Amino acid sequence: MDMTGTQHIEAPRDVVWAALNDVEVLRQSIPGCQSIEKVSDTEMNAKVTLKVGPVKATFTGKVTLTDLDPPNGYTITGEGSGGPAGFAKGSAVVRLVEDTASTTLNYEVKAQIGGKLAQLGSRLIDATAKKLATEFFEKFGEAVAPPAEAAAAEPATTEKKRGWFRRLINK
Amino acid sequence: MYQTTYVRASSLAEAANLLRDNPDAKLISGGQTLVPTLRQRLARASHLVDIVHLAELRGLTLEGDRVVIGATTTHAELAASDLVRQRIPGLAHLAGLIGDPPVRHLGTIGGSIANNDPAADYPAAVLALNAAVHTSRRTIGADDFFTGLFETALDPGEIVVRVSFPIPRRSAYEKFHQSASRFALVGVFVAVLADGSIRVAVTGAGPCVFRATSIESALARSFTAEAAESAAISADGLNSDIHGSAEFRAHLVPVLAARAVAQAR
Repeated sequence: MDMTGTQHIEAPRDVVWAALNDVEVLRQSIPGCQSIEKVSDTEMNAKVTLKVGPVKATFTGKVTLTDLDPPNGYTITGEGSGGPAGFAKGSAVVRLVEDTASTTLNYEVKAQIGGKLAQLGSRLIDATAKKLATEFFEKFGEAVAPPAEAAAAEPATTEKKRGWFRRLINK
Repeated sequence: MYQTTYVRASSLAEAANLLRDNPDAKLISGGQTLVPTLRQRLARASHLVDIVHLAELRGLTLEGDRVVIGATTTHAELAASDLVRQRIPGLAHLAGLIGDPPVRHLGTIGGSIANNDPAADYPAAVLALNAAVHTSRRTIGADDFFTGLFETALDPGEIVVRVSFPIPRRSAYEKFHQSASRFALVGVFVAVLADGSIRVAVTGAGPCVFRATSIESALARSFTAEAAESAAISADGLNSDIHGSAEFRAHLVPVLAARAVAQAR
């Protein structure tokens, strides 16, 4: 499955690029990330818990950064094995375009799953991959440039609870 | 299946306490999604808290201008209910189309809407009929209940107790099923509510049930199959898989809406 998306971030491109290479920011952004540790500048070991509806599987694997083109973008790939659940692999080609004081992040995602997850969940793969990719880039945007009103947290959580799909179709 | 501890709850309060004290406990009613998932080891539950027999969750009654349905009412019970067949024929018809006979005799309305599978049938009825979901803590309106892929407004440990449907003037559900799973490739529920407002809810097409507002406005001008079929639905954000592309699903929505309008009574 393939999908593309755009995330607008209120920060200069250099700051966004640095964040794309920051393990701590990646940990906060990867949905369900339990732990992530740096092996080298372009390789990390990660443990991620994926929860979609009744399914809950913990994947251990690695995150790699390739095609590095600072500060224009790179390809980030995550792949892991979820034990009896099967395996999952997803990659995103990320391109940064600078506006005056902000950055537009364009991404193109490919995702694959295999094993039992794929057998039983084939009708849900696309929707799940879209949800995870959208969550990742939204959280990433928030981590790099926290929205000004984020301090007044309570009303914001209700808005969040309305869900990403509503926001998508109400645009 | 991983080892788990089965607990038959004696009251709603006991079930709520078990969920609060055990973060990896799972509620089970009909188990038609949960049990296959556990058997395949795609999930692990420390406890299975069984609520299917609780008296507080039973019942199928007429209360004023609403039909109130207990959370553990099975699809088969609902499909066979004279009350539902007379007052909300579209809902009874929908319940009879879910899965196969074993699923209909075990699966429950509360379990279905709490799971919020993107291709489940009940969410379309709850949203189109503007039902209210009564939980162990509060009442949630249909427009606020379904929030995303397998996501609802329910908090952890919150239990669906009953669903209250206002009796509509007319209702109908049309489903294009995926022949292997019997889930809706696309399902469309059309309702004309008591105040004359028209609501059209679509399941199976997107990551979560949604209202087809373009069809609603077309039907408000003219409640005819032609009006429904002439409304366009964008394929943006819709599901695409080996069973059908997003464009195919987008095409099916007005087609099914038109059939539902023709059936509505």
